Amino acid sequence: MDGASTKGVLSHLSLLEVQARSRKTQPQQPSRVKELKAKAEALMTQRDQLKAEIETHKSLQKLRASMDKQRTHEEEEEEMAEDSDNSQLLRLMARHTQLKDLLHAHDIIGGYNIIKTRKGKGLCISLTTAYNGVYLENYNLEMDLKPTLRISRDNIPPFIPLKSLAEQSNMQTDIRTLLDPLSQHLNAFAARKQQFKLVKELHKSVQVMESNALCSLLVLMFTVPREKTAVLCSLEYTDHTRCLPTRVHFECEDKGLPDSPQWKKNGSLLMETPVHKALITMKKMGDIV
Amino acid sequence: MDESTKRLLQRLMRRIPTQMLRTTLDKWGRLTGEQLQSMDFTQSKWALTEKLLAICEENELAVKHITELEMIYIIDNPNQGMWYAFQLMDPEDDAHSVELTQFKEQFKSHLRELIRHVSVKIKKHTDEAVWIRIAWGDTFSRPNHMKPTYVVHSLQTPYVFVTSLTSKQKPLLSQALVLSARYQAIKDANLSGRKLTAIRDLLMRQYHQVFPTRYPTPLAENNQTVSNQHIEREQAVPAANRLQAAYEAFGGGMLPQLQSAVYKLETKFRDHSNKTMTEREEPFRCVVKFASTNLLESLRHCASSGIASTPVTPLLSSIPLKGKNYFVITDNGPGPSSQMRQPQN
Repeated sequence: MDGASTKGVLSHLSLLEVQARSRKTQPQQPSRVKELKAKAEALMTQRDQLKAEIETHKSLQKLRASMDKQRTHEEEEEEMAEDSDNSQLLRLMARHTQLKDLLHAHDIIGGYNIIKTRKGKGLCISLTTAYNGVYLENYNLEMDLKPTLRISRDNIPPFIPLKSLAEQSNMQTDIRTLLDPLSQHLNAFAARKQQFKLVKELHKSVQVMESNALCSLLVLMFTVPREKTAVLCSLEYTDHTRCLPTRVHFECEDKGLPDSPQWKKNGSLLMETPVHKALITMKKMGDIV
Repeated sequence: MDESTKRLLQRLMRRIPTQMLRTTLDKWGRLTGEQLQSMDFTQSKWALTEKLLAICEENELAVKHITELEMIYIIDNPNQGMWYAFQLMDPEDDAHSVELTQFKEQFKSHLRELIRHVSVKIKKHTDEAVWIRIAWGDTFSRPNHMKPTYVVHSLQTPYVFVTSLTSKQKPLLSQALVLSARYQAIKDANLSGRKLTAIRDLLMRQYHQVFPTRYPTPLAENNQTVSNQHIEREQAVPAANRLQAAYEAFGGGMLPQLQSAVYKLETKFRDHSNKTMTEREEPFRCVVKFASTNLLESLRHCASSGIASTPVTPLLSSIPLKGKNYFVITDNGPGPSSQMRQPQN
């Protein structure tokens, strides 16, 4: 027993002695040290880099704030002092972020013309309509911002369902859910109105029997050449977001005429082409006077 | 032609001014070319009436033809009498696809169901408006053509304009309109005036409205005599602001001609120098009426010249904004809101 334990202790002591001697004689693993030193260097440069970035970001923000202020004071002349390359670069970067934000804002409002009114308490949104590359009417919405976004004034015609579009939209969080459908309705209405106007101007031989304020219905009277029979054509535009009809109907004393292949073709022509253009084709084909 | 028809024609002839007579008769188309030529429009109205009566006898014209003539005249000259605006409420799903023939048939059949003896004439005007002439009779008497009601409505819009309607006839007309236009109810729009075109333009927003824009176009200013250069210079900016505010509130260019605006006040009396009145519990009822040959124009001028302060008070700007010229104003309940007078309805 005694021998075993003494052996254990003694052997342990001798082991420790060997270890101590080897530690004194061995060099301190230079690769490891180098490794650690290099790591420390790297971390320090990273820290410096981050510090520099923070500084740049701070000065960029300051520059951007002053740029924004300059913009709201109606484009005052920027002082183009003899800046060092560094500050010119900073200026460019600030301008870049400004333009990016502007583009983002433009995306959010969908490209509609919006201006602030009443010192930021209101907005006025302008919706343009156009057809065939020609600008038509401009419609406006004036809105209050507080307590919630709501329409205070507008010049939208009463047969455009503004109220129901507003109710169905998500305008508090995304105003485009109101503006896009509204613009669709208005543009389709303007397009139909323009088409009806062109029919009256360009096709005097075609008689307009009926139309309505919303331009969702057009009834025309055609005269077939040679026989001089009259054909009554009803165009219904039940989809108010489109400017092409949803239904075309012909009525004639000659009951067979609407079913003839020629007039069936005219029917699909009228469904697919704006009416004033379709009439030109029909005249060319000799179907109508 | 019986006596009543003759009387109708005579009355109509008294109404139509001589200078309009030829064009109206022409449009009517019931006279042949020679007959029209034979009428000497330099003669007195009485003589012309006698001539026309003779021609109508010759052509065997009846009451319905004379009412046709009356309708043509009224449609071309709608700015007489007193017109009242109504608004159809809560459209049914098919309200937007109601077309003319359907509306005509439905209106006539509904009205005839409600009142047996009634004469209805419906005409579509070139500006897409539907004109209805109603001569009312009752269970015992034939329709009275001397006091017809005229109704104007544009399909797919909620507005109806009416003249010469009695309170007894009102529910019958309302019912027929609501059913044929496919809505659920009709209410008084609180807008009235002598000129149909004016109240219609106001409600249909067919006048030039001014909105804030980034680059405002210069507004039309009246030729003011330059009194003092210094005043001009000092007042330039405030004057421009007042003008802009006035034009935004009321509109630009020619404004629809309203003749009056009525405010019925049911608010508590507020004047600390008069204790007896202020102490009263009940509201102080009074009616304030503004009258003018062109009310909106004069209100706009009040704002632009500084007589009325800008921004224009909602009491006045509500006239074009809401398309009303009759308001009932009450206190809004306790607290700070009772300090403000809000237009109701």
